[in-house]
Parts: sequence; structure tokens; C-alpha cells
Amino acid sequence: MDSFATIVSVIYQFATNGAFLLLSAVGLIVILGMMNIINLAHGVLMMMGAYTASIAWHRNVPFWLCVILAFIVVGIFGAVLERAIVRRFYGRELGALVVTWGISLILSQGALAVFGPFLPAIPIPGGSVAVGQYSFSVYWLSIIALCGVLIAGLWALYNHTTIGLQARAAMQNAAMAKALGVNTDRIYMLTFSLGAGLAGLSGALFAPTVSIAPFMGQQFVAPAFITVVVGGAANVITGAIGSSVLLSLVKTPIGFVFGAFVGTVALLFAALIIIRLMPDGISAVLQRHIDRRNRFA
Amino acid sequence: MSEPILRTEGLGKRFDGVVAASDVSITIPRGELRCIIGPNGAGKSTLFSLLCGIYRPDAGRVFLKGEDVTRLPAFRRVRRGLGLTFQTNRAFHRLSVRQNLSAVLQIARADRPTDAEERYRFALERFGLDPDSEMPAKELPHHQLQWLEIAMVLAAGPDIVLLDEPTAGMSTDETLQTGAVLKRLNAGGLTIVVVEHDVAFVRDVAQRITVVHQGQVFAEGSVAEITEHADVRRIYLGKA
Amino acid sequence: MARVPHILKLLSGPEDIGRSWWFWAVFIAACVFMLVYPRWLSEFQATNIAYYLLNVPIALGLGLLWGYSGVLSFGQVAYFGIAGYTYGIVAGNMVGDDFGPIVGSLCGIALCAVVAAIFGYFVFYGRVQNWIVPILTLVLTLLLETFLGQTAGYQWCVGSVQLGGYNGMTGIPGFQLGSHVLMGYDFYYYVLISVLVIYLGLRLLVNSRHGKVLLAIREDPIRTELLGYDIRARQLVAFVLAAVLAGISGLFYVQWGNYITPSQVGLLQASLPVVWVAVGGRESLLAVLMSTVALNWLNYTLSSEGYQYALIITGALLVVVMLFFPSGIVIALARELPKCGLFGRRKGHAA
Repeated sequence: MDSFATIVSVIYQFATNGAFLLLSAVGLIVILGMMNIINLAHGVLMMMGAYTASIAWHRNVPFWLCVILAFIVVGIFGAVLERAIVRRFYGRELGALVVTWGISLILSQGALAVFGPFLPAIPIPGGSVAVGQYSFSVYWLSIIALCGVLIAGLWALYNHTTIGLQARAAMQNAAMAKALGVNTDRIYMLTFSLGAGLAGLSGALFAPTVSIAPFMGQQFVAPAFITVVVGGAANVITGAIGSSVLLSLVKTPIGFVFGAFVGTVALLFAALIIIRLMPDGISAVLQRHIDRRNRFA
Repeated sequence: MSEPILRTEGLGKRFDGVVAASDVSITIPRGELRCIIGPNGAGKSTLFSLLCGIYRPDAGRVFLKGEDVTRLPAFRRVRRGLGLTFQTNRAFHRLSVRQNLSAVLQIARADRPTDAEERYRFALERFGLDPDSEMPAKELPHHQLQWLEIAMVLAAGPDIVLLDEPTAGMSTDETLQTGAVLKRLNAGGLTIVVVEHDVAFVRDVAQRITVVHQGQVFAEGSVAEITEHADVRRIYLGKA
Repeated sequence: MARVPHILKLLSGPEDIGRSWWFWAVFIAACVFMLVYPRWLSEFQATNIAYYLLNVPIALGLGLLWGYSGVLSFGQVAYFGIAGYTYGIVAGNMVGDDFGPIVGSLCGIALCAVVAAIFGYFVFYGRVQNWIVPILTLVLTLLLETFLGQTAGYQWCVGSVQLGGYNGMTGIPGFQLGSHVLMGYDFYYYVLISVLVIYLGLRLLVNSRHGKVLLAIREDPIRTELLGYDIRARQLVAFVLAAVLAGISGLFYVQWGNYITPSQVGLLQASLPVVWVAVGGRESLLAVLMSTVALNWLNYTLSSEGYQYALIITGALLVVVMLFFPSGIVIALARELPKCGLFGRRKGHAA
């Protein structure tokens, strides 16, 4: 009975680490996969999601609704950002990096100036469940489940909707897609908006687990970037899943033995080694396998 | 006759199940002007990339001046006397003509000292370009941009140049002029291999033609032999 | 002897703005002025100017890397911190030894070079996409900040030197020549002359053949590779050089203020070199030098307004410059003022 509980505990650790990485990075990956741009305002968008959730929660909005609200609010903000600034940098990836970084600086200190150093915390919903001598947080269990739903939703979006099809066409070959009547401008805006919304969603989901402050995004930025680098831009779904799984395999044992910070440092080392071997990320490697299978299907 | 300057033995390359090159063995003697032709999708570009070193073959070997260079990455082959130009023009567009010159000045070759600047100017003057021009390269008309890239490559003093569709996008006159310069360079001892679509150009400059089809060497011979070849006509579906 | 005119020709080469006789006359006059200026300054004012100047090497390094080699690094400050902390540890443990500061400086620079070489090896020899370098360098510096921030306890010491956690390391010895500690006016001259030597040296580099190859790599790495250059090695060298320059700034900093904190490698500090280079214009060393000094001076004069708006202003400056002056404000001005003859015509003294 004891070893069963230990196994469950290990799986739980692994799953929560993976879920953390996945949620931190999914917004970035969506945008990277489409426009080949890294949105350095990502951390700030997560912060905005957390802020939205906190403000709504303290007006007695039920938590699940706060999360959805965060998704919508930050998503809209993302669309505005894309229209106003980001779209001028397509094709200039380094410029996009610099300008989104500038935006993140403005917004984070802006949040400090407007809202002060802290926002009231959100208590973690749900209690805990015990298995053997371990107790597991119901909240994290729901987050893990939510990751599955999220991936399934994204998969359905990309593979079973017209917009998803148009998006995939634009990802493959924007000029061709345009020639076939796809409104690539709109696709880019919607993609950026989705990426931003997902960042807001993640921020809201993480809000109960951290203190809600203007620079809270920073703690997610390092793991998120590493996840994106390892995942690569070839395929959103495989990149997100492949990368979070692989990195969680690194972080869980190391973090367990040496602590969370060393675990994150190990991620950086792992990323350096992985990109040496797979420069275009896991998604590129997986994509080749998928293509190979499809060819013989 | 000494060692052929470029030789391949049984080159093969697959891309996830698609055979792009299969059992390709070609021999290019020193001083020849060879053209590689074939219908679209025949594998010409793959062969070109295999010769350059951009792709590593799955099977077979590549010999440059007698040395097995199969394992060598492209830049090391270039250092051993190979010159390359591409289908999409890759001169430095944002830089001026003069800056393009500066960039090639420092090429160090393992076996020969360079007088790159002289050679570059020579090549440019043949093509009618001003080597001191500060005009950004991208403002040159397309054919001059192609010539600029060829001149850059020539500046290194290669023993053999591989050109991938150099006359793409050029008018008949410009194509003729390109052909004339290539023939002049070849007469001076430079081995030239051209991957081409333009049949008139090929007829004008080639000493020998290799026809590639479905990743394999389909036929090889002189201009006369190839143009008479019934099967070659067939695979081109009536072209030429 | 023929080397001298050759060097002069290189200095006036086309890869930086400012080439005419006029320009050099003004430049030399400015140098002379800077050498003589302390006569009218208090020691305090002189050390302030030294503070603006000490940030020039890290900016020049980023300019070389981003503007001349096409590699963007967001984490140059990591090397600033590595050199600063290393110097603090080594020189701090060698207090009383006249060679302490020199050994400390060399150790600081060496460690920067090693870290950059290892990091760069994985990145450049992996031939990764362009956007990976800024991301991973940023991650490196953020992780470094977190690490240094949690070194508060007494167990975190090397020899007799405490790392100090978020409060940082204090009591760092100044730089010494022999037994003479460089402070005040001496420090000013030390930094001024070093910066001038570094600037001129870099100017020589970018006009040299090695510099031209870097330019070519920036423009089209594949084409450059297929002209026979090993671009991975050259990018790695540029990266290490930039790291060493950033480390030199870090050394100057701790020798100036005798302390260093983890925030020196944090998010705000990391953005500053990017701002200085972007605002000046990354494709010109002179532009970077001018904007770094100007923006540091500006920051100092405005800092009395309170630290709270520093990030907003920095961010806004970045956004505005990227949107409206993508090649840099100083470079844009240099292009608009050819009539003055101050900045030389395009076909002037070409190399």
C-alpha cells in the first residue's frame, strides 16, 4: 500500500511540474508557431490575468468565472497590442523581441504605479485528498486535468475548425495561404489574441499559488522560455506536450533532491544540451515522425 | 589526364521515404563545362546540395580533387576550391557592391594564396559592374545581382564552381552575356558545373550534359548526343 | 612603419560613422577636453562622469554583437555581474596584497570568457534559430539573479568574503596601481583612458578583415558560410568578446562603488544595454558610445525624480525607438547632417 502511494506521489510531482511548464508556455508557443515571434510581454500578460482574477474574485465572482474573464480580458488586450504595435514587426523577429520587452517594462511598472505593490491574494480553491501518507492538492489535480482539456481544445481548434485550417495554412506558407483567400492579417491577430488570452488564463490559474504582484510574471518567464526553446516552432501541440514532458522528466527528480531553484537551473542546462542535439526543437523531430507515418498511411 | 576534379560514387539521399537521389555517379574532368538538366522534381537541387555539402548523403561518396570530402561540411569544401551560387540570389543585398567585395577579401585557401581583390575586379569588369560602387546591392537589376554573386564566388579563386540556375529571370541578351563570360572563364581553366533549365543556354555553353530524372542519372553525353536522345525528349514531354 | 598608416586607414574605415578630417579634429578636441575637464570639477562630479563612462564597454560589446554580427543577447549584464562578484571575491580575499585587484580583474574577465564560451558553444555550434540566443541569455541572467539573491546566509561566503544575498556584496576593494588606490580623479582617468582604448580598438576591429566577415555573417550567414568561413567559430568569438567587455564594465562598477547587488543582473539592468544600443543605433560604435553616455547622464539627472518611473521610461524609449527610429537616433541624425561635413561623406576615406 505504501509503495502504491509513493508511485502516485511521484506521478503527481511529475504531472504538476509538467502542467506548470505547459501552462506557463502554451501562450508563447501558439504565437511562436504562427508568427515566429517570441512575445516577451508574456510574463506581463500572465500578471494581467492574475490581476483580473484577483479583482473579480474580490468582487465575489466565482473562481472559474474569474479564470474565463482573465482569458477574455487579456485576449482582447492582446488583440489591441497586435494591431497597434506587434504587427509592424513581422519578418523582424529580433525587433519584435525588443519591442515586446519594452511593452513588458511599461506594463509591469505601470501596474506597480496604478495598483501598488500587491493585490489581495486568492486562496487556493478545493482542499486536499490523501493517499497513503501523502496528501495531494485538489486544485493542482484540477489544473492537471485542465491541461488535458486545453490541449484537446487546441487540437480540435487547429484540426477541426475552418479557422484552424486557415491558421495551419498560414503557418506553413503565408503567401500561399493569402493567395488562396485566407485573411492572414486576421489570423495573425486572432493568434496573438489567443496566445495572450492563454497567458492570461495561466496567470489566473496560478494566481492562488503565488503572491499577486507587478513582477510576478518573472518567475514563469524563465521556465516558459526554456519550454518554448526546447519545444520549437514546428507544431504547437507536439511542441507543447513533448517539451513539458521532457523537461518535467528533468526537473522532477532534480528538484526533488536539490530543491526547486536547482531544478530550474537544471532546465537551462538541459535546454542547452537539447538544442545542441535538436536545434529546431522537439516539435520538429516529432513532426518528421508524423510526416513519415502519414506518408505510408 | 589527371584526377577528375569532382567525382561522386553511388550517391543516395532519402527524405523520409522519398528517394531524392539514387546511385548517382558522375565524373567531372578538370576544365570541363558541364550542365546538369532534368525535368522539375528530377532531383537536380538535391544533387547540387549533395555536391556542395549542404546535405550529407545516405549512401555513396564525393571526391573533390581526389580527396574524399563526403564527411566535410560545406564551408570546408569551399576552402578546398569549390565555389557555389544559388537559385535564390544570396549576395549581401543590404550591403553596397564595395562592401560585398570587402566581405570576400579575407578568404584563406588551404592550398593557394589569393589575390582576391584583383580577381573580383576582373570578374566584375567582365560583367560591366563598378567594384567601388556604394549602391546597395539590392538596387541592382536582377541580372547584375546574379553576376555580383558569381563574381564574389570567383574572387576566392576556386578550381570549380557550381552554379544553380544562374540565368533564372534573365532576358535572352543577359543570358547570352552570362554564357559568354562563363565560356571565357572556362577557357581560362575554370571547371564549371551548371544546373540549368534554359535549354538554349545549355546548348550554347555545355561541353557535356548530364540528364537527371527521378533521382538518377538518366543520360549523359555531348550536346549533340543528348539533343538527339529520344528518351530525353520523352521525359521532358516534348520540351526542347 | 607601414603599419601606422595602415592602422590610421583602418580607424577611418567605412564601418562606423565619423570619418572626415573634420570629425577626427572634433574627436581629438573632445578627448583633450575630457582629459582637462577635471580641473573644473569636484572629485564627486568626476566620479559621476566616470560612472557614465564605465557603462560604455558593455554597450559597445552588445553593439558589436547585435549591430555587427547579428546576434542579440539580452543577458550581457550576467557577465557584468560575474566579473563584479568574482573580483569582489578574489580581491576581497587578497586585501593587503597589492596585486589583489589585478588578479581579481583577470579572474573576473577569465570567468566571463569561460562561461560565454561554454554557453556560446551550445548555441552557435547547434546552429539554432536567431530568437533562441536572446531568450536563453535572458534566462541565464534571471537565474543568476535568483541565485545571488538567495545567498544571504553566513554559509554563503568564499574565503573571507560574504556574497550577501539581496543586500549584495560590500567592501569591495578599489583598483590599485602598485600600492596606489585609484579613486576620485585617478579613477576618472583610469576609466576614460580605458574606454578610449577600447573604443578605438573595436573600431579597428570592425574595419579589419575580421570585422568584415562578421558583417557578412550578420547579413547572410549561409552565404558567408558558403564563401568558406566557419561562422560558428566567428560568432562564438564575437560572443566571448562581448562578454569580456560586459565584464570590464562590471569591474569598473565595483571598483567605482565598492559594492554590487543581485539587482545588477536583474530585469531592469538587463534592459539598459539594449536601450542604449537601440537608441544610439546598433550599426555604429560611435553612436552606441554617444547614446550610452547621454542616457546615463539623463538617468542620473532624472533619478532625483524617483526610481518609480525608470522602467516605464526605459520601456517607452525602447518602443518608440523601435517603431520610429529602428536604425537608431544617432545614426538617423548622422544621415541627416551630411551637409555639415562633420560626419564624412559615404565615399570619403574608404578602406
